[in-house]
Amino acid sequence: MVAARSSPLEAGIVKKELIELKINGRAHELAVEPSALLLDVLRQDLSLTGSKRGCDESSCGACTVLVDGVAMMSCTLLAASCQEQDITTVEGVSEHGSLAAIQKAYGDWGGAQCGFCTPGFMMTVKSLLAENPNPSEAEVRSALSGNLCRCTGYSQMYEAIKSAIEAERQGLAAAK
Amino acid sequence: MNNNFSIIGKPTAMIDAAEKTTGAGKYTDDLSVPGMLAGKILHSPYPHARIKRIDTSRAEKLEGVVAVVVGKDAPNPYGILPVGHDEHALAFDKVRYVGDNVACVVAVSEAIAEKAMELVDVEYEVLPAYFDPEESMKAQSDLIHDNKPGNLEKDYHHAFGDPDKGFAEAVHVAEARFIANEVTHAAMEPHSTLASFELDPHTGKLGRLTVWSSTQVPYYLQHKLSLVLEMPMSQIRVIKPLVGGGFGGKSEVIPLEIIAAVAARKAQAPVKITYTREEVFWAHRGRPRTIIDLKTGIKSDGRITSVKARVVQDGGAYCSYGVVTILYSGALLGALYDIPNIQYDGYRVLTNKPACGAMRGHGTVNVRFAFESQLDELAAKAGIDSAEIRQRNLLMPPCITVNGLRVQSYGLPECIEKTVERSGWKRRKGKLPKGRGLGIACSHYVSGAANSIIRSDMPHSTVNIKIDRDGGVVVYTGASEIGQGSDTMTAQVAAEMLGCSLSRVRVIAADTDLTPIDIGSYSSRVTFMAGNATLRAAEDVKKRIAAAAAKKMNCPAEELVFRDDLVFKKGSVPPVVKKDQAEEVEVTQAGASVSGRVEGQILRGSLQQKRKDEGPKEWMTFEEAVVAAIDFHGALTGTGSYAPPQEARGGKHKGAGVGPSPAYSYSAQVAEVSLDEETGEVTVHKVWAAHDCGRALNPVSVEGQIIGSVWMGMGQALTEEMVWKDGMLMNPGMLEYRSPSSVESPEIEPIIVESIDPEGPFGAKECSEGSLAATIPAIANAIYDAVGVRLHESPFTPERVLAALRAKNNSKRLNLTEGVDPTAPARFREHGGSLCFKGKGPERHALDPARREAPAAARGAD
Amino acid sequence: MSLPQFKLLRPRATDEAVSFLAKHAGNVRILAGGTDLIPSMRQKLFEPESVLDLRGITELRGIRPLASGAVEIGALTTLSAIERSAYLRQHFPVLTEGAATVASPVLRNMGTIGGNICLDTRCLWYNQSLTWRKGCGFCIKKDGNLCHVAPGGSKCWAAFSGDTPPALLCLNAEVEIAGPNGARRIALREFYTGDGENYRKLEANELVTRVFLPEASADYRGIYRKLRVRGSIDYPLAGVAVVVKRLNGHVADARLAITAVNPAPLLVQRAGEMLIGKIIDEALADAVGDLAARTAKPLTTSALTPEYRREMIRVFTKRAVLAAARP
Repeated sequence: MVAARSSPLEAGIVKKELIELKINGRAHELAVEPSALLLDVLRQDLSLTGSKRGCDESSCGACTVLVDGVAMMSCTLLAASCQEQDITTVEGVSEHGSLAAIQKAYGDWGGAQCGFCTPGFMMTVKSLLAENPNPSEAEVRSALSGNLCRCTGYSQMYEAIKSAIEAERQGLAAAK
Repeated sequence: MNNNFSIIGKPTAMIDAAEKTTGAGKYTDDLSVPGMLAGKILHSPYPHARIKRIDTSRAEKLEGVVAVVVGKDAPNPYGILPVGHDEHALAFDKVRYVGDNVACVVAVSEAIAEKAMELVDVEYEVLPAYFDPEESMKAQSDLIHDNKPGNLEKDYHHAFGDPDKGFAEAVHVAEARFIANEVTHAAMEPHSTLASFELDPHTGKLGRLTVWSSTQVPYYLQHKLSLVLEMPMSQIRVIKPLVGGGFGGKSEVIPLEIIAAVAARKAQAPVKITYTREEVFWAHRGRPRTIIDLKTGIKSDGRITSVKARVVQDGGAYCSYGVVTILYSGALLGALYDIPNIQYDGYRVLTNKPACGAMRGHGTVNVRFAFESQLDELAAKAGIDSAEIRQRNLLMPPCITVNGLRVQSYGLPECIEKTVERSGWKRRKGKLPKGRGLGIACSHYVSGAANSIIRSDMPHSTVNIKIDRDGGVVVYTGASEIGQGSDTMTAQVAAEMLGCSLSRVRVIAADTDLTPIDIGSYSSRVTFMAGNATLRAAEDVKKRIAAAAAKKMNCPAEELVFRDDLVFKKGSVPPVVKKDQAEEVEVTQAGASVSGRVEGQILRGSLQQKRKDEGPKEWMTFEEAVVAAIDFHGALTGTGSYAPPQEARGGKHKGAGVGPSPAYSYSAQVAEVSLDEETGEVTVHKVWAAHDCGRALNPVSVEGQIIGSVWMGMGQALTEEMVWKDGMLMNPGMLEYRSPSSVESPEIEPIIVESIDPEGPFGAKECSEGSLAATIPAIANAIYDAVGVRLHESPFTPERVLAALRAKNNSKRLNLTEGVDPTAPARFREHGGSLCFKGKGPERHALDPARREAPAAARGAD
Repeated sequence: MSLPQFKLLRPRATDEAVSFLAKHAGNVRILAGGTDLIPSMRQKLFEPESVLDLRGITELRGIRPLASGAVEIGALTTLSAIERSAYLRQHFPVLTEGAATVASPVLRNMGTIGGNICLDTRCLWYNQSLTWRKGCGFCIKKDGNLCHVAPGGSKCWAAFSGDTPPALLCLNAEVEIAGPNGARRIALREFYTGDGENYRKLEANELVTRVFLPEASADYRGIYRKLRVRGSIDYPLAGVAVVVKRLNGHVADARLAITAVNPAPLLVQRAGEMLIGKIIDEALADAVGDLAARTAKPLTTSALTPEYRREMIRVFTKRAVLAAARP
């Protein structure tokens, strides 16, 4: 006798819904479960694996993305709840096919070691500098304090951020 | 000091930096293969229980479930140490801690696997459990492992010199109990493994296995997989993608790695398992809670006469690296200072908690905290400055310590000198405002173990190099990049030796099918051992290039210099003007002017042909020399390996294998702290950390490693602690396990000291672990300097500090135990108080163990 | 850990939200910033049939100073917005201080004032995964009937761990609650029950829509002090808010509230009485500290021992009172 398998409904599967997400300037139409988290949709449905899952309780910041320019944790947002909003992930940080100043600086100054937390830091730093182009070290420390890193002790990140600000300034001056 | 290097010694961005900052780099959980299924592991809710029955039928019936794996699917035991094969992929007969692995559900999605997990019926017979090592050692019955009487994994009793005579000669003696509570790696990347079988082309059955895993030790993983799956190692390919930090937590085979492979075999499909953060805490293998009874004697001039240590480690439920840990704790008392007499009694004890293993500074950290604190206390007793007392006890290398460790390069004196100078020690110590203080401490660590755990004469590292016709260099190394810069170090060493630019070098690492064996990234062995192997492989291939080039240039091969992508005769001035470090060059020769990037692309085509037709020359480009060599020898490859020299492998006593290293790194640190005497809160303002790394191959990485170690030490000193109640880990997450944030992380000034080790690659030694151990006692000693309180238990949480302050000031006592689980039994009786349950009727959760439906009835309904 | 499956309701207006609530009452959870609800649902602390996602209701966002000097704050206003409001910082500094200490900057970009007010009470035996809780045999707050913190008792002692409610209590804030019969307004101090299990007085078909800061509470000196192990991320292990208005050096009015040491944030009633009419000095601050510490009933619901946390309520109260007295 073949054991009867339970149906998807009995297994408690809720129907997927069609949603539209705007990510790094591109619109994507996706069928997702209402309970799908933005992080999982990015990583699994869109293969944008740059955003990382480091914890399950919204405390590590490795999944940070920008939602309408504001840094948020994609592990704590429902994908369906982010429709009509502009989402930027780490994949959208590079400029014109080359590294953004902050990406180059993190490499040069040792701001990234294992690199797992780095995408989250990229997003947090990006939103910080957009809001406050010339932050003090105390402001940087406070802004980064929701992203955990186990490798660097954060010190070399401050150097990287300083140097990125300087590179941006010189770039702007050169452009003028 | 020879600073005439072109690649090493210069701050260099890691060669994989862009992959990390753009998010393009792939870690294991970022990978997927067609047909991949998700695995979820069911964990034990009990700390110690016999599994009477597992019924997976309900779970298997759930739509979307492909397989349910249990212990009998993989009965072979394994363990990282040959003496500790006490683990099974999934619990075989017993579970030994809350979180032990019971079954694995494979399903088409993680959500379905999670749901099915709750449908696996397990009947347990709960056994008495042991949570305290001292209690556990008294156990007569219900042993955690039947073959370990008294729940004792291993004990060692060493005496070197004459410890009692040493104490008789001492003028000042201090004796105290120190406790260092349990901490864990908490690497940002949760462990992940993807296992996939190929079909055998002849039989159509499952054939070769490929495993992608977040591991520091791909070859050990390959070996243990072979053991459990009963497959030849050659049929198993382990690939290590990017690893998001290890710190020792991925330096042995972690349950999910074996489980994923067993699950893929049973499900006949690729399976990926990624731990939740909570599971990472259960997999653990961190630094054990350690009880240290330490006694030290000094003469009036501060010279140490004798040390006696009794160390008890709460090792958790399995052996893991435990035997090595308890040996390191004793052995590394030895190679830092000149200690004539040492007695060491070490006990590694089993308890019903997740297994402890290797963590950054493996074995030395907690004992070093105790020792350096006690030395500080003795300095005060003897009226000697704390930095001075350390200077009076230095070794006089080259030497062999009383416990048989060979010490050659020894930068400790300079480390102490530099930290004292930079911190303004002499000017500021004892003169800071009330509540603020300075403390000093030292530490050291091995640059790889001289004796590998696999007990063979095989070299610990082997590296192959292949050079393509266009001068592209490929280095094949088994060493594992885990964020520490292993791949970059390898590329740098190869480029320096070959005199080519770094951008020519590509590193292919940690893929057991492609790369020669290397025992892995642990015990800080990579720079020293894989670095030396790389150096030798590069030398090997360079010899071939030199022979061919010498022929073309009509001179002896020994006269050739390889540098800046050129090969030229010693003493001649190469005709290339370097503008900016390997950026752009201009070559002017016989009217032909070529300008471009150095990437090996210059002088191609007609110019190359033209030069080839010409007679003997004064110089050649690297690319030309490579072409000459390939034309002469055929494909250009080289190989090199490293085995620690016999003299560095230690003494003959039982357990002498652990501790010896070809070279030791040294660290001295000064911490500046302030205390809030009303709250007990400690603020670390700055740490000056001097580290003798032999030679800094990449200063930006060396500094990063020093800072990272100090920072992690600070975490253990102040905020990090695994809190247990009745075998339940109260803080299995990044919210409650408090890894410091950027706000309270101090400024750390790294100071590189280069002692140029005679055997290290270009003189280099380790730099990633040795600094950690000094930070905890440096902070403890600074707290003493600030408020006169000596802390004997880490972490120095505000409540512990305040309690110590109150005790010292004889003010209102702070009772730290009041209200803390008054009913908590010292020894486990009935888990979770389920005896107390009276049931809440229908409101009660379906999964409440006290309300389990009779599975028989469920079966009957089918 | 994946989320339990649910239907997602995304109202665009408060009315719509209220009617959704009425329809699904009892089996719906309200999602605002999600910073507490999402991790709790991962841990299967809530497995609702539906989730009511308020993020699309723009009318409940924003800080609106009224002509009277009072202020109306939409429940969906983020903690970042409150922290950065120059108006609030000038007139209601205790609230911006409280908001600025919540969790971490990224979480404050998501978390809302309404969510912080309604924050579920917390306990180490409760805020754990389903597997973990199975191990301890569940607890009185969820799925079991035993309290691991106060064994033998029948009351839940999970601690209320919001940072802004003590500030709001000091400001005599009121909350607007919308339900099927329209909106009602109650003083925040009436909102909490003091029981860890059913910690707030909110019907299943109601939601908090606005917070009002009365005109009379404007321009008090305000201080919030929070005990935490790290400088960021952590929930409070103890917290003290105090507001003081002075006239000629004497305290004209003062209020003090504590958080994270009881199942509800508490206004320490007698503290105001002790301070009014006095000149604040060490001795007075000490006495108020003792009073606050006696009001605190911390148990082993969080890190650091109850004894220490009670002691810190004393120290932080004293310090906050002295700081509020500084010119």
